[in-house]
Amino acid sequence: MSMKSLDVIRDEHRALAAMLSGMRTLVQGIEAGRLKPDYDLFASMIEYIDKVPEKVHHPKENEYLFAKLRLRSSEALPVIEALEAEHREGDARIATLRVALANYREQGDAAFEGFRDALKTYVEQEWHHMNTEEGQIFPLAKAHLTAEDWAEIDAAFLANDNPWQGAAGEYAALFSRIVNIAPSPVGLGG
Amino acid sequence: MSNMLLEAKEVHTYYGASHILHGIDFNIREGEGIALMGRNGMGKSTLIKSMLGIVRPRHGRVLVRGDDYTRARTYQTAQQGIAYVPEGRGIFKSLTVRENLLMSARAGIDGRREWTFDRVMATFPRLGERINNGGWQLSGGEQQMLTIGRALMTNPDLLILDEATEGLAPLIAMEIWRIVKEIRKTGIATVIVDKNHGAVTSICDRAMILVKGQVVFDGTSEEIRVRPELIQQHLGV
Repeated sequence: MSMKSLDVIRDEHRALAAMLSGMRTLVQGIEAGRLKPDYDLFASMIEYIDKVPEKVHHPKENEYLFAKLRLRSSEALPVIEALEAEHREGDARIATLRVALANYREQGDAAFEGFRDALKTYVEQEWHHMNTEEGQIFPLAKAHLTAEDWAEIDAAFLANDNPWQGAAGEYAALFSRIVNIAPSPVGLGG
Repeated sequence: MSNMLLEAKEVHTYYGASHILHGIDFNIREGEGIALMGRNGMGKSTLIKSMLGIVRPRHGRVLVRGDDYTRARTYQTAQQGIAYVPEGRGIFKSLTVRENLLMSARAGIDGRREWTFDRVMATFPRLGERINNGGWQLSGGEQQMLTIGRALMTNPDLLILDEATEGLAPLIAMEIWRIVKEIRKTGIATVIVDKNHGAVTSICDRAMILVKGQVVFDGTSEEIRVRPELIQQHLGV
């Protein structure tokens, strides 16, 4: 059993965590007066979160890992149901973040706190979500899934084993663009 | 083995009276990727330096493609298609990005020139934007890209990365990992030392763990995934 899919999921979590950490650092820099807001950069970061974790990562988890584990472990059921509910809420949570950014772009400093708080909420939710997956689902999956289950799950995940690439390299390009324009200490720009 | 690139056999290395490596065996074949893991001070960098002639082992042998390189000078080992991206990067700060890259350009050991200046630019577009900047003007992430680019300009068969993402912001570290993953796909053998065991085991097929100058695990990355207690026991994560 290679369980390579767990590596892919962890990779994707690391990519998301890096993006969230970068956004949080930028907001802290703005709050401390060290950085000026770059609305387009924030928009690109939200776009990345929407396109990769929300649209690619979560459906794969639902369709393969969670679907198999449902059949093998009753203990996992309540955790899976909670996680799937969070996946379903993904679009709405991203929309909240987009609205907060739009307000910030339009109103400037007056709407900073709203954006900061929306981001804080989003980051906390995502951290909790990823920790639940790695802390509860992974051990249950390792304990209960069969070699055949893993072969099927791994095949599905390895069909696109690089979370930064995208089918035509579009996510890699977006990720690189963000890294290049984000100011220090988050990225290479500035 | 005919495809063996680099080997250490029963290597003992000391810093003064301190016995750092205690009879380590190491080997890497063409195209292989090895995650070299261990807590700080366990001998990872010393093992690499011992094999590259930067530090002299007191006992044991180092073989490159089966030939004895135990007493070889570092440049002689490098000329065998082994490129080193050192901890701390080691770029030439007084040279421009272009100069740093061109000074290391050479054909691979079999004469191939797959990694050209243009290909390195395509791999690291950021360096293209900084092409005439001095090394001292680069950020840590840019310096790391330059060091990896410089290593690729030697058209190596083996790339050794020692703490390639040390001190870098998470986003930049992820970009470096993305690029290293792409480099791995080209078939260059790679040894990666990094604290991020998750990232390195996802890139490399093989993993080694050092504890107090000894190899306590040498197996597949798959075994590491299946037995997380190895990481907890030996890396304290």
